[in-house]
Amino acid sequence: GHGRGGMGEEVKRKEDQRFITGRGNYVDDIKKSGMLHCELVRSPHAHARIEDIDKSRALEVDGVVAVLTADDLLEYDLATMPTLMDDTQDVLVNDKVKFQSQEVAAVIATDRYTAKDGAQKVDVDYDVLDPVVDAADALEDDAPLIRDDIEGQEDNHCLDWETGDEEATAEVFDEAPVTVTEQMLYQRLHPAPIETCGAVGDYDPGKDKLTVHMTSQAPHIHRTLFAQVSGIPEHKIRIVSPDVGGGFGNKVPIYPGYVVAAAASYVLEQPVKWVEERSENIQSTGFARDYDMQGELAATEDGEILAVRTDVLADHGAYNAVAQPSKFPAGFFNIFTGSYDIDTAYGTLTAAYTNTAPGGVAYRCSFRVTEAVYLIERMVKVLADELGMDPAEIRRKNFIQPEQFPYESPTGWNYDSGDYEKALDKALEMADYDHYREEQQRRIETDADKLLGIGISSFTEVVGAGPGKSCDIAGVEMFDSAEIRVHPTGNATVRVGVQTQGQGHETTFAQIVAEELGMDVDDITVEHGDTDTDPYGLGTYGSRSTPVAGAAAAVASRKVREKAKAIAANELEAAEEDITWDRESGEFHVAGAPDRSISITEIAAGAYMNKPAGEDPGLEAVNYYDPPEMTYPFGSYIVVVEVDRETGEVEFEKFVAVDDCGNRINPMIIEGQIHGGLAQGIGTAMMEHVTFDDNGNVTGGDFMNYLLPTSMEIPNFETGHTVTPSPHHPIGAKGVGESPTVGSPPAIVNAVVDAMAHGGISHIEMPMTPDVVWEKLDEAGLAADPA
Amino acid sequence: MTDTREITLTVNGTEHTIEVEPRQLLVHAIREELDLTGTHIGCDTGNCGACTVLRDGEPIKSCLMFATQADGSDLMTVEGMEDLPEAGGELHPLQEGFREEHGLQCGYCTPGMIMAGKALLDENPNPSEADIREAISGNLCRCTGYQNIVRSIEYAAEELEHGEI
Repeated sequence: GHGRGGMGEEVKRKEDQRFITGRGNYVDDIKKSGMLHCELVRSPHAHARIEDIDKSRALEVDGVVAVLTADDLLEYDLATMPTLMDDTQDVLVNDKVKFQSQEVAAVIATDRYTAKDGAQKVDVDYDVLDPVVDAADALEDDAPLIRDDIEGQEDNHCLDWETGDEEATAEVFDEAPVTVTEQMLYQRLHPAPIETCGAVGDYDPGKDKLTVHMTSQAPHIHRTLFAQVSGIPEHKIRIVSPDVGGGFGNKVPIYPGYVVAAAASYVLEQPVKWVEERSENIQSTGFARDYDMQGELAATEDGEILAVRTDVLADHGAYNAVAQPSKFPAGFFNIFTGSYDIDTAYGTLTAAYTNTAPGGVAYRCSFRVTEAVYLIERMVKVLADELGMDPAEIRRKNFIQPEQFPYESPTGWNYDSGDYEKALDKALEMADYDHYREEQQRRIETDADKLLGIGISSFTEVVGAGPGKSCDIAGVEMFDSAEIRVHPTGNATVRVGVQTQGQGHETTFAQIVAEELGMDVDDITVEHGDTDTDPYGLGTYGSRSTPVAGAAAAVASRKVREKAKAIAANELEAAEEDITWDRESGEFHVAGAPDRSISITEIAAGAYMNKPAGEDPGLEAVNYYDPPEMTYPFGSYIVVVEVDRETGEVEFEKFVAVDDCGNRINPMIIEGQIHGGLAQGIGTAMMEHVTFDDNGNVTGGDFMNYLLPTSMEIPNFETGHTVTPSPHHPIGAKGVGESPTVGSPPAIVNAVVDAMAHGGISHIEMPMTPDVVWEKLDEAGLAADPA
Repeated sequence: MTDTREITLTVNGTEHTIEVEPRQLLVHAIREELDLTGTHIGCDTGNCGACTVLRDGEPIKSCLMFATQADGSDLMTVEGMEDLPEAGGELHPLQEGFREEHGLQCGYCTPGMIMAGKALLDENPNPSEADIREAISGNLCRCTGYQNIVRSIEYAAEELEHGEI
């Protein structure tokens, strides 16, 4: 940093001013003249044939303008839409509903209350079918067929996938002195951003242009998909993602509500707003996880890991609508060899359709890296306990070493850089590890009321999707972009193809440009989310903003600098080859004469008013950045818990997180990302779960039943960092936003298991609610009766 | 259309007389009739607290009350914070605290959090960390992990104690 808001400085956020004064502009804040409101009629059944939909009573309600069903959308070929995984999802259903809360009809009315009145008066006649809400049950021979709309589909089998070398792995397992196996369910979660999904469709017949304000993490891709589905040319569609009240992967897919709001405004030629309620959000939009994983490790007696094997049963819901690069049906799950130098690995996965909402990739998962890290970090603990080894030591013994990078994993990943032992050592020291190991032993020996457990997770992330040769979303390569325009008076507007949902891009992207151009961060405005004005990008998810658009911002800045050099030479009356850039001062100067210097801010006018001969006027640049590789941030988390033997309650005694995301743009913002992600990791491990009953009813589908952690359940975190830059990234930065949620759940489960390991417990399923923990205590003979 | 009733609300010091249906929730009246869109809606079960406002000085979740029930009340929303004397014509120390301590990210829970913080500090100018955590336990945040929100409110408490008003 140069002291004016460059790299590494704790710049206070530019976006805060409007949010702390109530002047943010979220979708539901938008009011347009003549705007109508849309309420969706949803299925009360998980699986049922629709015999008839009667709109007549709804249409009689004063203020109801229209009732749309699939038949109305068929006319525009909008009754179904493609998913990001080459499946087809109903926008509105007219034949068979496949999950509870699925969209059946849309009522458009003058206000939201009237729309609800109308929705209650749409009479749908259902013929109820047997539902199947469990992936294993769905694959039974006699399971009811869910997808009778797919030609040739005879069962609920969705897809198969494999990775690694089956034969070589089997050989290692056959001969290994030690093998361990564990079955673990990464339960169905929901990202549950505090703002739900919503949209305002606004078709202007005069301009023949459709504008959709929507809660979108990927507005450009959404525009392209809207164009492909609707047939409206892309230049006549404008998607605007305004301020977004949290995304966490929930706002990547296209949902039926968006399509209905857009289609209704097109048909009615009036703006139409759709904003879902919380229960609709949890019950119908993209869930996360739902991987039932068998993990196996093969090792030597002294703890050297020889091979990993896994078999996964994945629940994809009623449609394969997983939001991920098209060539990765299991996301980046095959990063499951983790931070360890393991030569041999094999994994298989079977996905099933069930009568549940679609989804899978969301909630800070980096495309299934949460599942991969959970698998390997849990298994390392299982192996450590089997061998009686310290879980820190066994990690140290197996880590990929700093000199091995770039490291090619047995499943084909090319890790960019890392120094895992350094991060672990730092975490162990911050956590006062040896003290807690002694205290743990003391409590066991004194038969204390509260057991102590210490959990470790030393994870490697893979973020920044991604190289165009392998990564695409619906065919569009996963580059990203930045456009920088320096104005005559020396300040600048920067537009990016990514879309913040609270991660602070308006501040941090300005910092990147400030650093590269020697500008003051306050002289730079960052814009995003408007497809009419911003360069095309793939959006924000998978912690890809810094790796991809961050790189683009740096490269575009350097292009600006290159042109500015010619202007600087002109202004300083020197030859261009004698002009050098001084990163420290953020100025150009004449080689050998540092006092003859000039800043970008000072030369901006020259670009417009005194351009050198042969140069085009203006000072701006654009870069579309195709990343050569992913970035691989890493970290070590250590969690110390107290487990109450009477109640099964778990308290966090200490929570240490050491992250390494390479060069750090804004430490304050990184820390905020870590805190938030760790809180979600605690939610994951301790309380969050979307549950169903046998009839397919969502029983964990609102905030009464899907529990988010409050200020009372979240401890203070101790964060630390190391810096191992990404060698291929223009500013050496890696993504980090999802690391805490990827890394923390196994650390937490490892800690609770660790508290009971002396009783022979090797695994506890999430969420570890007090009743679940108490049962394990009881099973281990460690439960204490209330006095 | 359903019958409407005329109610009077004093919001951030200004009196408003509006027509509302008896079933209209206070949060919708604030957002849609008065265009004060800082107050947000994050759930449908009264859990999240994004709609927290002060009613006659007490924090309430405005999604759990009909507008008609608030007839005659004195309401305060986040938009009124800058007009308070302790804001000195600029940001209120609570607002400042949230920015200084990075107590917000997406900003969606922030207005409700600030109002919950205000209710706490009005009652208890020197709260402990435990007091703060309890006071905001009806306000869900999905971004910050709460730690910096606690610091933000501590910052404001200190500013209010030592700052000049």
